[in-house]
Amino acid sequence: MRLVKGPVTADIISELIARGGEKKECGAHSLFLGQVRNDGKDDGKRVRAIEYSAYEEMVIMEAEKISKTVQSEYDDVRTLEIIHSKGVVNAGELSLVVIVSAGHTGQAAGACTKIVGLIKEKLPIWKKEIFEDEPVQPDAE
Amino acid sequence: MEINVLFFGVLADFAGVRRKHYTGIESYSDLKHRIFDDYPGIEHYTYKVAVNKTIINEDPLLRDGDELAFMPPFAGG
Repeated sequence: MRLVKGPVTADIISELIARGGEKKECGAHSLFLGQVRNDGKDDGKRVRAIEYSAYEEMVIMEAEKISKTVQSEYDDVRTLEIIHSKGVVNAGELSLVVIVSAGHTGQAAGACTKIVGLIKEKLPIWKKEIFEDEPVQPDAE
Repeated sequence: MEINVLFFGVLADFAGVRRKHYTGIESYSDLKHRIFDDYPGIEHYTYKVAVNKTIINEDPLLRDGDELAFMPPFAGG
């Protein structure tokens, strides 16, 4: 589990995929990408970014528990990686990536979906919506 | 006892601080009253409490130096 400042970039994802190629015993990598959505509100305002904050030490501890839970339930899963943003992420940018490598397709996909659910439920991460007419604090984390 | 209190999410925004050090705390109940006195209205928020990064469901027995986190509902992803 890693927390990165700002959006999860294409470079980070590309590196994860490249690393997957080193696991030659795996026949499937399931990849989930979470993106910041420009939700509209009743008053007509739209979200232009989300500022994430986290209880970082606890996030790492809880992610380790998620990893153990999932690997005990899906015994074909070889490795998994979670990367989540902290700080400001603009609408259209990525805030979460999960990649699960397994021997076969079914468990890779099932475990990936399970992990995304557990991330929302278990990781102490919070979001603050920033609307189109609001400035972003330059030092926001 | 000395207790380090952390606020997250909307609770940090409401309190205007992310961290506060309390001294002379006698119990969890005493600590909560001190926090509610310092930040009136914060008691109306929904929150969970973690003691040393473990979520508790009942009032904990505090020990000197404990870190308590007041956490609104999680919203990662």
